[in-house]
Amino acid sequence: MDNQPSVSEQEGHVASVVSSEVIISLKKVSKYFGDFQALNGIDLDVHTGERIVICGPSGSGKSTLIRCINRLEEHQEGDIEVTGVKLDENLKNVDKVRSEVGMVFQSFNLFPHLTVLQNCALSPHWVQKMAKSEAEKLAMEYLNRVHIPEQADKYPGQLSGGQQQRVAIARALAMQPKVMLFDEPTSALDPEMIKEVLDTMIELAESGMTMLVVTHEMGFADRVADRIIFMDEGQIVEQNVPQEFFNNPQNERTKLFLSQIL
Amino acid sequence: MNQAATSSIAVRSARWARENLFSSWINTILSIVCIVLIYNVVWGIFSWAILNGVWEAKDRRECFAILGKDENGIPILGACWAGVRVWFNNIMFGRYKDGQWRVILGFLILIIWLIPLWVPGVKRKFLIAAGAIGLYPFLAAYLFLGGERSWFMSFMVPLTIINLVYNTTDWVGDKVFRVSLADTLRWKLVDRIIPEKQHTYALMALFAVLAVIVGYLIRGWGLDHVASVRIGGFFLTLVISGFGITVGLPAGIILALGRRSRLPVIKALTVTFIEVFRSVPLITILFMATAMFPLFMPEGFELNKLTQVIPAVCLFSSCYMAEVVRSGLQAIPKGQYEAASSIGLGYWQSMGLVVMPQALKFMIPNIVGNFIGLFKDTTLVFIVGMFDILAMTRAMSNDVPWRGEFHEPFLLTAVIFFVCCFTMSRYSQRLERKLGGQYK
Amino acid sequence: MLNLIYNEKIRAVFFQVLTFSLVAWGVFYLYTNTNENMTARDMKTGFDFLWITAGFDTDFHMIDYKAGDTYGRVYLVAILNSLLVACLGIIGTTALGFFVGILRLSSNWLVAKVAAAYVEILRNTPLLLQIIYWYLLLLAFLPKPKKSFDVFYLDIFFLNNRGFYGPSAFFDSGSGLVAAGIVIAIIAVVVLFRHARKVQNSTGRVIPKYSWGLGIIVVVPVVAYFIAGQPIGWEVPILKGFNLRGGWRVPPAFITLVIALSVYHSAYMAESVRAGILSVNKGQTEAALSIGLTRGLALRLVIIPQALRAIVPTMISHWMNVVKNSSLAVAIGYSEITALFMQTSLNQSGYAIEIVALTMLFYGSVSLTISAFLNVYNKSVQLVER
Repeated sequence: MDNQPSVSEQEGHVASVVSSEVIISLKKVSKYFGDFQALNGIDLDVHTGERIVICGPSGSGKSTLIRCINRLEEHQEGDIEVTGVKLDENLKNVDKVRSEVGMVFQSFNLFPHLTVLQNCALSPHWVQKMAKSEAEKLAMEYLNRVHIPEQADKYPGQLSGGQQQRVAIARALAMQPKVMLFDEPTSALDPEMIKEVLDTMIELAESGMTMLVVTHEMGFADRVADRIIFMDEGQIVEQNVPQEFFNNPQNERTKLFLSQIL
Repeated sequence: MNQAATSSIAVRSARWARENLFSSWINTILSIVCIVLIYNVVWGIFSWAILNGVWEAKDRRECFAILGKDENGIPILGACWAGVRVWFNNIMFGRYKDGQWRVILGFLILIIWLIPLWVPGVKRKFLIAAGAIGLYPFLAAYLFLGGERSWFMSFMVPLTIINLVYNTTDWVGDKVFRVSLADTLRWKLVDRIIPEKQHTYALMALFAVLAVIVGYLIRGWGLDHVASVRIGGFFLTLVISGFGITVGLPAGIILALGRRSRLPVIKALTVTFIEVFRSVPLITILFMATAMFPLFMPEGFELNKLTQVIPAVCLFSSCYMAEVVRSGLQAIPKGQYEAASSIGLGYWQSMGLVVMPQALKFMIPNIVGNFIGLFKDTTLVFIVGMFDILAMTRAMSNDVPWRGEFHEPFLLTAVIFFVCCFTMSRYSQRLERKLGGQYK
Repeated sequence: MLNLIYNEKIRAVFFQVLTFSLVAWGVFYLYTNTNENMTARDMKTGFDFLWITAGFDTDFHMIDYKAGDTYGRVYLVAILNSLLVACLGIIGTTALGFFVGILRLSSNWLVAKVAAAYVEILRNTPLLLQIIYWYLLLLAFLPKPKKSFDVFYLDIFFLNNRGFYGPSAFFDSGSGLVAAGIVIAIIAVVVLFRHARKVQNSTGRVIPKYSWGLGIIVVVPVVAYFIAGQPIGWEVPILKGFNLRGGWRVPPAFITLVIALSVYHSAYMAESVRAGILSVNKGQTEAALSIGLTRGLALRLVIIPQALRAIVPTMISHWMNVVKNSSLAVAIGYSEITALFMQTSLNQSGYAIEIVALTMLFYGSVSLTISAFLNVYNKSVQLVER
């Protein structure tokens, strides 16, 4: 980039655009893997435009939580409602929710046999039934938004980790979802590439997208989050605005966690 | 300059020999043993087959007469290739005597169809391969068997020919003249009347209409009917293994998907089916087919050996293919399935667009290996009384003029198989190496 | 109501019911057809055919059998014949396979290439072709009984075109002592090994347990044999008239099958062995040598255990192939289960379905047993990982 400080280096919190409308609601949600309880009575309301960062030690259930929201995992107890649709065994509901919720994975999971452009145009063409040229135009739009239009005809294997993750973000955005979920998006990246992905995510936040991000990047949380949620052992232990969360942690476990990562 | 070059070659060879062949006592002894062994074997075979080979003779006795005896009165050993020359046609075609040009044409067409798969940069390779698997058998069946065309065949045969002509013009034009027939047809012609989303359907309809028209125009022409029992020799081997793979691969994919299903009934049925047929030898399945298929079919259903054997072979092949497909699917990381469903693709869409294309690339070396095994296993139909290449080889040994001669025909058959199988296995090894580096 | 078709659980049930019904209908259709056809052709069914007299004889049987015995006995004879050829084939394959596999890895270029040629030639030609060719070779070159070839030059084992002959033993009273001697020897060896390990663990001293063990196994029964007054007699095959009489005989088809199966599958086994040994990380040898182990000990304690983990599963699948391919005996007339039961008995008795089922039962059981062994082996050598 140029001499200007990058988006993530600039000071100041990203403007909040939280509305009062609840877009995702979890009520008393529990999830078991066999005998092991991964989620224990989770209550959570996410408002449109809200940016939530979820953090916690490994095994605390943060990934499980967001994977339940787009039904990559099935919850056993409680209710999950996304954009007014209840998540249960009704497959039509599940498909509807998935088209409204985009997901970015820790290991990118790009399709290695398709070009970058084809990766992004796949869903618009086959799921939203757009014509191929329309779908590709849409995909290019989003590739432009993540600043890598020149890689459109390359294969994922030819890109760096940071570029691949940005393509993954574009691929999820091409569905034009209402909510974006991020499952530790920078954990698999080399340090010098983390910044480019975080920059993209901050730009996304500035455009008003509702985001749930599981991450350890506390700098990002401080800049972007409307709310930080700390989870441990399947429960929400503490949640607060970033200022209060970092400077004034209430719970002992939160304090322990913060002392380990800051 | 030249002297230095030659002496360095000599020096390098000597050094190589010292390191690789004579580096220790044991190695030296082993090397000498090997050299002696190889010399004896190779020279023995060479002198028997080439130096003393008899190429023209009326029968075996004449071969012996031509070879004669050496100074000590011991008969000279030499190969009597004359018999093989007489029987060569039988060994290759079986009893398919009239119109062998149809067989050769059929295989030429297949080769022409499949060439683009090896040419880099050809688009839509998958469609070409799918056409080969789905349409070519109909054309081949008509070429080989001929006879009157039913409604169905009157449609399929022209359709296949049109598809072949279309594909070939398309890729050759694209490569040589940079003008693709497919693109021209689609964007210059069809696009004017039909929106983009329905282009595929329009093209398919166009093909269908053309096929009907052509089918009507050529309704008077046909090929003579040849009974399927005449198919024999190497030709039969190719037909059976061809069916084995064209049916076995799709069926194997379906069985493998069934085995991975979460639905217990489907999983139990497929697992039982696969395990039962994989644990028994092919010959028992062939016996079962010839003994029991006539019982399974309703009264009056005509069955000849070929129609009994081919389903049995396809059954067997699909179970082994299923295992190959299953291991290919297991190699795809779970993240791919998740990513596909997270962008809204359903089960069949995920399989078709994301998982299978990746898995198939992994599987190709194993599929080729399976095909090689199937190719060799077709010789078992000899045991149930079909006139495949092995049967022809044995028949020559029982033919009166050449009675008792078995080395020569067996060697010919062995060489034919070796050349085919060795080429295929080398190819799959090369593929494995090429693909192994791609998914690091 | 329409939403029901999107319900995941209902869909699952629906598809399973649909599939099951289709399969059931298919089976029912085949069943009714078969019934009609069998009544039309006056064929009988029922497993009681096993008690019908089989009217034919077989030239090779390991247990007593004569032409008047039942089909049940035929089944038993066939199974034993199959197991015999399969076992010998497996032993031959494994021994030859390991030998060639190790040759393949030799640093001697010529030896490695010769072994490679062996593997490629055998793997790329059909097994049936090889079996028939071996059979024709054997028949062409084996001598007539009058000129039987004396194997080992001991006047005990003979080879001719009627088969391979060996001595049969008959046991007098007193053989019990020899049997007891064998049992005592085995117990003594087990005790010796235990003791040797205890000694090595506590003091580090290595007792030559293999040499001692071998000595015990050989000496004790032999001593018992002589003490009991040589109670085991041998009946050696002797030429009487046109044939050898006495002792036991295996037909040429059997010899062919053992040779052909061993040679063919040894090529595949050699590749497995080679792949298994190559799969062990090179660093393992280096590490083993760097802690002072000799090449021999490094091989025995570090390399081979790891190589075996890779070799054994494929080796076991090759064994299964040996068993399955023994069915090709039907092409050269060795009376194992496919030839004697599935072909001859089926033609003679007509009980197609039962015979096919019993044959598949045999092969299925053998496959399952071998798979079970494989699972047990895999569990016991599972590397413990996080």
